Amino acid sequence: MFLLVIALLPLALVSCISGRAQLAKGWSGTAVHDGVIYVGTVDGRVVAINSSTQSQQWSYSIDPPATIYTTPVVDGDLVYIGTYSGQVLALDKLARNQGLSFPQTRYGEWEWDCPIQNAKSIAIVADLLVSGDAIYVSSSNGRVYSLDKEYGDLNWESKILDKKHGKLWTSPAIQGDTLYVSTFDGHIYALSLETGELLNWSFESDAGFASTPVIYEDIIYLGSFDRHIYAVKIGSDTPMWKFPQEKPAGNWFWASPVVYESIVYASCLDGKLYAIEAETGEKLWEFDAVAPVVSSPVLMDNLLIVVDESGTVYVFDLSTELEDEAVPLKTILIGADTAVKSSFCAQEGLVYIRDEDNWIYVVDIDKGEVNWKVSLTIEE
Amino acid sequence: MSFVEVWNLIIANPVLNVLVALSHILGGSFGFAIIVLTVIVRLISWPLTKRQLKSSKAMQDMQPKIQELQKKYGKNQKKLQQEMMKLYREAGVNPLGCIWPMLIQFPIWIALYQSIMSALATTPESLLGLAHRLYSWDIVSQAIPLSSKFLWLDLGQPDPYFILAIIVGGTMWVQQKMIQAPSVDPRQQSTSRMMMLMMPLMFGFLTLMFPSGLALYWAVSNIIGIITQYFFTGGWGYLKFRSPFQSTQ
Repeated sequence: MFLLVIALLPLALVSCISGRAQLAKGWSGTAVHDGVIYVGTVDGRVVAINSSTQSQQWSYSIDPPATIYTTPVVDGDLVYIGTYSGQVLALDKLARNQGLSFPQTRYGEWEWDCPIQNAKSIAIVADLLVSGDAIYVSSSNGRVYSLDKEYGDLNWESKILDKKHGKLWTSPAIQGDTLYVSTFDGHIYALSLETGELLNWSFESDAGFASTPVIYEDIIYLGSFDRHIYAVKIGSDTPMWKFPQEKPAGNWFWASPVVYESIVYASCLDGKLYAIEAETGEKLWEFDAVAPVVSSPVLMDNLLIVVDESGTVYVFDLSTELEDEAVPLKTILIGADTAVKSSFCAQEGLVYIRDEDNWIYVVDIDKGEVNWKVSLTIEE
Repeated sequence: MSFVEVWNLIIANPVLNVLVALSHILGGSFGFAIIVLTVIVRLISWPLTKRQLKSSKAMQDMQPKIQELQKKYGKNQKKLQQEMMKLYREAGVNPLGCIWPMLIQFPIWIALYQSIMSALATTPESLLGLAHRLYSWDIVSQAIPLSSKFLWLDLGQPDPYFILAIIVGGTMWVQQKMIQAPSVDPRQQSTSRMMMLMMPLMFGFLTLMFPSGLALYWAVSNIIGIITQYFFTGGWGYLKFRSPFQSTQ
């Protein structure tokens, strides 16, 4: 009996390892530029899909293979992407189309490796921010880096902003000559855009911030792990308001809110979309989706598009007055077999959604249906 | 409802949420939360531990009689076993009683392992997955995300310096040695010596493979076990501290 227990112990413990293995699969979102969809795949490729031919234009496999969480950023001829192995790559569309080896410096390609600096991880999880001549990168080593967009040279690096967790999984936001960064330990820091030095003002909350900050008219809006959306006036020590005001929402505000015409649209992991008066924090209306909403809402003209985890697309017409229990203009099922956690983009009446199973769905809002879809998985 | 759902509902999620809540109460230290949870688990399993200790104490008291039987029936193993079982029965002792507290702790270990990995959320997917497993208590939401740092340890990773492996193995050996009665029979002696080494070595080895948060639980649980055994059985039991200058007989 005793020997049986001894024999079973490792088996039981090993079985609980296999049952709970934590795999970083990645959830890179879609970006569309000149009729081409750019996305990072589960198997560590950056893929360009031509919308007119509905087929792959080019694909680049990151070497060594790495998971991708960041959504590609297209700027001119270059496609920028960050990887879970801590690299930032600038890929030239033409060089990739020709299948040349990477990096082709004559095409302006470069790669940058995040320094480890005694950190446990240098993974890049948050989307890259491209502004002016620089790219701003949040790293899992807790620092923000500014890189020269043309050559990939390091402009500056910040101090470790979240010492408690040692990681930054949210992107920075820019207002004027200041970079604002939210952290898991509940801070908002202001950094000089030129030097990366910490400026005088910072904000501290009891709970950690889950989402990337959004700035609208000198007010920072962001979601928290304490189930609230915070509105923080830049320069103030206390929040302007917290939503919901009475009791917390049903779950975290994981995605960044969207602010449009003085209304904050915030999706929540409790499966709700809230419309909040930006100035006062009063609820204007709410909508109950079928499943939790992981990705941020997206604006397309007067339409607000929300995609929940089940792959249901909700379209709200913001030009009409919405009641307390808002009804979407359209509800479209994309028929995804796996969850939708990636950010998505919308352009010219089309919404580009990626699910966990590496499928891209192109949804036509007018028709209210999936126009076409393509798998990014390589068939063996 | 599937087995996994029932498991999560009854065991895994309560352990996870208690750990996260304790972490917030203890100033954000996940390591202290594991230590306090260990104390709670040991308190809950106290009735079983008490039975085990009573059994150990009775075994200690019976040693002269057992040794007598071993001398008498040393060559006839079958008869020796029968006589020993008879002796145990008469004294109301279950020689395998020590296994039950360990078996009871199995689900706790598995839940704790899962909770540590979930709570520390080393990947973005696991952090997002945590959202659906936490209760809507303020104390829980204010603690998230947790920091994995505790002393020199990253609680989500094995201890790179082997210190915890030595502590886990060492304390387990001491705990076993305190209750393991020496045998006169040479064959039994070698078996029990092997067992005495095998368990601490195995747990020491597991400590090198598993997140140090789980190993911390084992280490603290062993230390509590040694303390309770010391006070309950009135001393170090069969653990004899011998001077290296003392001659062996």
